[in-house]
Formats: sequence, C-alpha cells, structure tokens
Amino acid sequence: MVTNEDAARLITAIKTSSTYDFTDYSDKSFCRRIEKILLDNNMDLNQLIHKIGKDKDFLEQMVKDITVNTTELFRNPEMWQTLRYHILPKFKKNRSIFIWHAGCSSGQEIYSMLILLNELGMFDQAKVFATDINTDMLEAAKAGQYKYRFNLGYLDNFDKVIKENPFNFEDKVDVPYEKYFDIDKVKDTIQMKPFLREKAVFRKHDLVKDGNVFYSKFDLIFCRNVIIYFNNKLQSRVIDMFNSSLNRDGYLILGSHESILGASANNFERSKGFYKKKQM
Amino acid sequence: MNDYKAIMIGGSAGSFQVVSRIIAALPANYPLPILMCLHRLKHIRSGFVEALSIKSKLPIIEPHDKEPLKAGRIYLAPANYHMYIELGNRFSLSTEDVVNHSRPSIDLSFFSASYNFKKKLVGIILSGANKDGALGLKSVTDNGGLTIVQDPKECQVPTMTTASMNATKVDYVFSTKQIIDFLLKLA
Ligand SMILES: C[S@@+](CC[C@H](N)C(=O)[O-])C[C@H]1O[C@@H](n2cnc3c(N)ncnc32)[C@H](O)[C@@H]1O
Repeated sequence: MVTNEDAARLITAIKTSSTYDFTDYSDKSFCRRIEKILLDNNMDLNQLIHKIGKDKDFLEQMVKDITVNTTELFRNPEMWQTLRYHILPKFKKNRSIFIWHAGCSSGQEIYSMLILLNELGMFDQAKVFATDINTDMLEAAKAGQYKYRFNLGYLDNFDKVIKENPFNFEDKVDVPYEKYFDIDKVKDTIQMKPFLREKAVFRKHDLVKDGNVFYSKFDLIFCRNVIIYFNNKLQSRVIDMFNSSLNRDGYLILGSHESILGASANNFERSKGFYKKKQM
Repeated sequence: MNDYKAIMIGGSAGSFQVVSRIIAALPANYPLPILMCLHRLKHIRSGFVEALSIKSKLPIIEPHDKEPLKAGRIYLAPANYHMYIELGNRFSLSTEDVVNHSRPSIDLSFFSASYNFKKKLVGIILSGANKDGALGLKSVTDNGGLTIVQDPKECQVPTMTTASMNATKVDYVFSTKQIIDFLLKLA
C-alpha cells in the first residue's frame, strides 16, 4: 500500500522534475492512483521516483495516468434538463455567451453543451473554451470519436435531454442522432459532426497553477468531477478563481455530488446544483 | 458488547426489497449511521432515494464529496460514483474506473470503511449477481469487524453471498428477519 509519506516523496520528486504540483490533491485518491501505476509498471516506489527523475516522457505519461478521465455524453441528464429549461433561456437574448469547460476530459461534456445550444438556437452566439491538464484527453476531445457499444448509455441520455421534456411528457421532439453524430456499428464508433468539432477552442491548462488565461469572463463555467480529486484548500483556491472569472449573473456548474465548502460558498447562491455568482 | 460505529450494507439492484424491509424496521432514533452501497440498474439511476425514503423513518442521503458522516442517517452511494469513508469520518467520492463492472463498487466502499472503523464496523452482504463485495467483506473480517451475509437460501441470486462466504469466514448467516433483529439489538 502507498502511504501518505510515500505520496509526499513522489510529489516532491514530480515537482523537482516538472511544473506539476500534486501537493493539494486529495491524499487517498492520489495514493490509489499511484498504487495502480506501480502495479501496471511493475515497479516499487523507489524505482518510480528514479525513473521520473531521468525520463521526461515517462513522467508526462505518469501524470496522465494519475488523472481520472471517466466521462459521458449528457452525464447526469437531470443537470442538462435544468440547464435547458431554467438556465440557458436567461442568456438567450445576450449577444454572446462565454462558456468554459475546465477539466473537459475527452470532450463529451463539450459536445453535450454544443448539441443543447444548437437545439435552443444559441449555437452561434456561444464562445466555447475547453481545457484539461491531460493533453491526450484534449486530443480525444478534438477528435470527438467515441466507442459505440460500450457507450449505449449516451443515446439514452441524449433522448432524455434532447427528445423529451421532463416538465411536459407530451412534448416530444424527434431529433435524429445523425443531426449531431454518425454511428458506425461495424467500426463501433460514434463520430461527432465537423460543425461541432470546429466550435470549441482547446487549450492545455492546469488548475493548480494557471488562472483564467482567456482574457475574457464567462457566463457559464463547467468544472464537474474535477475538484473531488483536490483537497479543501485547493478546492477553495480554484473556486475563488472561477468566481473572479465569472460575469455578473454567471453560473458555476459542479458535478452532481460536489459542493463548495468553507468561506468560498458565500460568493454563490445555490439552486438545483447550480452556483450563481452573488452580486457583492 | 462491542460498541459499533457504523453499519455498511452491500447488495445489488435485486436486493431492493430486502433493503426496504430493513430500512422500514429501523426507528427514527436509530443511533448508528448506515452506509449502503448498492449496484443499480443502468437505466434506473434516479428515483432510488425517493423509493427508499417512502419506507424510512430515517433520512436517506446520497452524500456529497467531503461531507461529514453523521449518526442516525442512512447513506446511499450515489449512482456512478465510488463512495469511500476517509479518516476523520468524511465521505469521499470518485469516478475512477468500474471495479467488477460496477460503480459504485462494494469492495472499494468496504475497503475504506473497514480501514477507517476497524473492529467497530458491521459489514452485511445481501443478495447479488456479482462477486463484488466478497473481498470487501473479507477486509471487514481482517480488520476485526463483524460480518453478516444474507442466507443464500433466501436470495434470488446468491452469487454475492456465496462468493463472500468463500472469501472469508463470516460471523453470521442470517435471514432478513434475523438481520433486522440484530440491527435493532445494536441500538
Ligand atoms: C472525471 S474527469 C471529468 C470530465 C467531465 N467534466 C465530466 O464531469 O464528465 C476529470 C478531468 O479533470 C482533469 N484534471 C485533473 N487535474 C487537473 C488539473 N490540475 N487541471 C486541469 N484539469 C485537471 C483530468 O485530466 C480529467 O480529464
């Protein structure tokens, strides 16, 4: 088992050889990831520390392996329904709407948003930025191609959010999947359409050390299922950075079982899992 | 008697009936926290809490990440997250890969709870179609906690209970009725 002392030694070694700093990641989850990396590489901790000191590519790969990248199209459909019926309509009349997906992983969250925006006739006014620490994930997000059979749940989620109206069961629209993605059952792929793939601006970004790098403020910031891997201190720092990057009346959207702890919570009004920036 | 600090229950979607019977039997002032890690059917992710709450006199909560654990509540691992108990009695959640095809994974919940509560944990495995939970229950035994499995004769799908009994020497094999009586006696 990897102890907290082991983790601390490794974190120091990573800091020495790179710009990454995992000091304020949540210890238990960090230790679990390292256990897995040791097992997969058949190494002990000393060997791992030795290797990252002299092999930069290996270190980069290890950082990618530390991150947890699981995601889905329309993950947590209730959130997307709230967004659709309660939040996005407020922005419809604005000339532009700035959106940041922080910790976008392989992009499913971005495509969910773009599809929804298109359905609401808000696609053109949206400016979408997407970031992650893991460049493999950014490449996957740009490619917009996902496994089909493994991800049949995506289609159920799509139906719930795009075809059905939870507030009026008679209100059903038939939106064909091909409007947004092509399914190839032989190749076992779901491929997002080019007009969606060309929309977002992608950029490598580390929430530990980078602030808002976009010279613009945002109306919606998504950061879902990212801060669960951070300790309270880093969570608060990141949340405060988001707070100062939000426009008046902007919203921060966290994962369905994440919340803002401590004093940072005072800057937001919470409703239905959405954090609205408070006017101060 | 050992003063237990928490009860953790693992089972699959098929154990819903048993779980509701157990929950319904607990009084509103039940003093121990109950932690439940149940596999859910893919398409029924929501509505689970609501369905269980109808029967329960205790609040049923899907905890948030880093939420402190409190007595007199029933906690249910949220769909699609692994649920851990950390030192200092806080929950932590993660979306790490599925284990034994499952997220939440019963093994992972049991590992962290048994590490945290050691001999003060009661671990219970109910009916289930998957061997997830067996190694978890073993970790309860290894940390000195008490283990119970639902009588396989009573289970529609006994894979989980049988695997648990093969993985570790369990303290009791109980019917649902006996599980309820036992939990009431702990109060
Ligand atoms: C579980 S995924 C969440 C994906 C998506 N937001 C969702 O909820 O479906 C977490 C992502 O956060 C990224 N991440 C972890 N640490 C980060 C950091 N310090 N800066 C930026 N992104 C980070 C990981 O690379 C991973 O892709």
